[in-house]
Amino acid sequence: MNRNNNTCILRVQDLTVSFGPSHKPVVSGLHFELHRGETLGLVGESGSGKTLTGLALLRLLPPGAHVVRGSILLYPGTPEEKSITRLNEEEMTAIRGRHISMVFQEPMTSLNPSMRCGHQVAEALAIHSSLTPRQIREEVLHWFEEMHLPGPGRIYHAYPHELSGGQRQRVMMAMALCTRPAVLIADEPTTALDVTIQQSIIRLLKNLQEKYRPGILFITHDLGLISEIAGRLAVMQEGMLAEQGPLADVLKEPKHPYTKGLLHCRPVYTRQPVRLPTVREFLEKGKVEPEERREEDQISKRQQIYSSPPMLVIKDLKTWFTRRKGWKKETVRAVNRVSFEVYRGETLGLVGESGCGKTTLGRSLLNLVHAQSGQILYSGVNTLEIKGKALKAFRRKFQIVFQDPYSSLNPRITVGETIMEPMRVHGLSGNRISRQRKMYRLLEKVRLDPSHAGRFPHEFSGGQRQRIGIARALALEPEFIIFDESVSSLDVSVQAEILNLMNQLKEEFGLTYIFISHDLSVVKYMSDRVLVMKNGKLVESGEAEELFRNPKEQYTRELIRSVPGQSMPVQLF
Amino acid sequence: MITFLLKRIVYSLLILWGVATLIFLLFNVLPGDPARMLLGQRADEKSLEAIRRDLGLDRPVGMQYLKYLNDLSPLSLHNINVPEHYFYLDTDLYAPFVSLARTGENTRLVLKRPYLRRSYQSGRNVSAIIGETIPNTFILATAAIVFATITGLIMGLAAALRKGTWLDHAALFFSAIGMSLPSFFAAILIGWIFAYLLGDITGLNLTGNLYEIDDFGEGRHLMLKNLILPAFTLGIRPLAVITQLSRNSLLEVLSQDYIRTARAKGLHSARIIRKHALRNSLNPVVTAVSGWFASMLAGVIFVEYIFGWKGLGYIMVEALNQYDLPLVLGCVLTISIVFIVINLLVDMVYSWLDPRIRIGGD
Repeated sequence: MNRNNNTCILRVQDLTVSFGPSHKPVVSGLHFELHRGETLGLVGESGSGKTLTGLALLRLLPPGAHVVRGSILLYPGTPEEKSITRLNEEEMTAIRGRHISMVFQEPMTSLNPSMRCGHQVAEALAIHSSLTPRQIREEVLHWFEEMHLPGPGRIYHAYPHELSGGQRQRVMMAMALCTRPAVLIADEPTTALDVTIQQSIIRLLKNLQEKYRPGILFITHDLGLISEIAGRLAVMQEGMLAEQGPLADVLKEPKHPYTKGLLHCRPVYTRQPVRLPTVREFLEKGKVEPEERREEDQISKRQQIYSSPPMLVIKDLKTWFTRRKGWKKETVRAVNRVSFEVYRGETLGLVGESGCGKTTLGRSLLNLVHAQSGQILYSGVNTLEIKGKALKAFRRKFQIVFQDPYSSLNPRITVGETIMEPMRVHGLSGNRISRQRKMYRLLEKVRLDPSHAGRFPHEFSGGQRQRIGIARALALEPEFIIFDESVSSLDVSVQAEILNLMNQLKEEFGLTYIFISHDLSVVKYMSDRVLVMKNGKLVESGEAEELFRNPKEQYTRELIRSVPGQSMPVQLF
Repeated sequence: MITFLLKRIVYSLLILWGVATLIFLLFNVLPGDPARMLLGQRADEKSLEAIRRDLGLDRPVGMQYLKYLNDLSPLSLHNINVPEHYFYLDTDLYAPFVSLARTGENTRLVLKRPYLRRSYQSGRNVSAIIGETIPNTFILATAAIVFATITGLIMGLAAALRKGTWLDHAALFFSAIGMSLPSFFAAILIGWIFAYLLGDITGLNLTGNLYEIDDFGEGRHLMLKNLILPAFTLGIRPLAVITQLSRNSLLEVLSQDYIRTARAKGLHSARIIRKHALRNSLNPVVTAVSGWFASMLAGVIFVEYIFGWKGLGYIMVEALNQYDLPLVLGCVLTISIVFIVINLLVDMVYSWLDPRIRIGGD
């Protein structure tokens, strides 16, 4: 077999996948080549068909989906050439895991919960090699070491739930790479992980690629991330290839308006447009010149906000939980003596990795979880001590929009009712008719068709549902809204539209926001000031621009540095 | 693990105490007179009085309750001198017991076997009666659940692996019938068909026990064939449920991400099912099987009654009819213990099946 550098190891031509003859193909006419030792980034939003493409290469398409046209050739032009679409199932099992491996997105659900990690990796070696059990064990331990897993022997005997997310993904990678496959398909391998861990996984993957030289097909929605690892880029839009080329070319001079849109709709460190350009605008007009924020406007706005006394003063807030771990009790210091102020009219960003307590802090502010001690002073009153009517009145002024647009709306209630319910509970806006009128106005405000008020949540897309969540929060005419990772589960193009909407509504209604997110570039774009949280404590706080330019704390610096895509020549950041 | 067991034992004792108290209260609230039941409608007042005194029913309810708990508890008080005293334990009835400590001039704290008293009706020791019936119920329940589990698992797994074929449809159809068939009706129907109509061919009896005394009154004979019909009848419903559960559970597991991972690894489907899918799909099946087994041990009243099988359910119904408090209480306590022990075992099996809920943690 010719295994020189840069030989083509995978050639995909005219690949078309469909869920049946009456359906529109979900992947259509896709073609690309993958060479030994290179990384091809396959980028697209949800529903673009990128994951199905990866699964089609292994013939693991979900039930109902078929390759209707096209060819997938492994080792094309060599005596070992294999046409994936023509192999029988028996021959295919010999390819899977041996010549083509795959790493999946969710390391928790992708590992068997009742099998020890070592055994799961050993299994791959047992079927694809002729090693003895003892050699297999040694090989697995060797790969755990390659993955920089602490204590390979311990990991070998551990069950997946005993490991952290990053460790699980390393086990998955060991499983995929231990047979030294020619092709590695990595489907959003770091999306479920924190940025700092994401960074170390990417670095590890790059090192391993240099050593073992697999061709990697890296599937992701994140252009910043892909710019760190890929040599070439293929952009997919609704099942079709929008464009393909060397990474730098595609990022610097994108030809397709969709790619341009994707590149520009993400908030980045270096650009501060008044409105984020959206993918839709690029598709309609081909070119968009976003208007940058003017420095003097920013300064006067800041002066106006910070000249008046703070609206909320949080002193020594403490929210601890006791958690049972087996039969032992453990105290989780989710929010540990946190003090800060919120000023009327500002957007206060709150960043930190998962588990740092940012969500608990948000919920403690609204009295949704009970804080042990401390004070939250709102016009001189400690809101932690109020009860009954006063608490209800306070809750009306403080609203929250949650992360998951799917589970935070009751599936059995129409969206109109969902928006009217809080008004009814709080006895606002007069009678039913006037409430209805207001609900229609709110739907218009969040750019939804008022005639859809009678529909149920499942009839809306993720972005639309988040708009419904915002409309519901606005129904009570609040002063203050907490957005808890409200855009994190959305595609970048939708995210830009929702962020624009948030800013616009803030202007219009004179709102104050707390914007909680793990995504630093989004937080920087949205916020006037930023708080950085770690292990329940505030690490650093400051004016957004200044904090990102001159972070004082080591942790903040690490966070900022770990946002992918900063090494790019293009102004991604 | 040890703290877990200790906690469970303490909880269990509390539950047993609650059950005993509840039964006692019910018997004192409900109308009915055990003495009258014992002697019949035409008994004279004098003999009724005598019986009441004999059973201790003439004393205040609070005293009766204390005495009753003292009898049940393995750790109890014993008045060594005064036979009329409440805590006097008759050496013949309560032996053997070990004196642990002096608690007063005349009283001792003793360790003994829980004393379930004598049946009002037959005058026999309740523990002896229950001791005789438990093996019957246990054998019947075990036979039924083993039959149901093995057949149900095979059918369910086969149906899942051949989803959408005639086999799958047939399994679903029969399990739907099995689930909707009331057990008293099924018992009569099955008894009628297999023991009466086809009795000559099958050679099965309509009613009967595991051991029968033959017509000549000589010795006990093991009659295994008498087990077949009640066990089959009893197994129908769990069989139907286990079939559906194991089918759905396996199908669900097969759609999980880690099964896709296993396929991506290059495993053959037989190995994927054996190594990755089966164990993870057994959890709901274990819940169903154990719950069912526990309730079967609690006596399966209809089936035992119709097939004349002298099990726990059978004697409990009779005891209830006759206001036989000690026997009812003995049965209920036995049933509670069975449930508690089985639940404990199930928790242990769970933690083996699913390491995520391993008891005690690290």
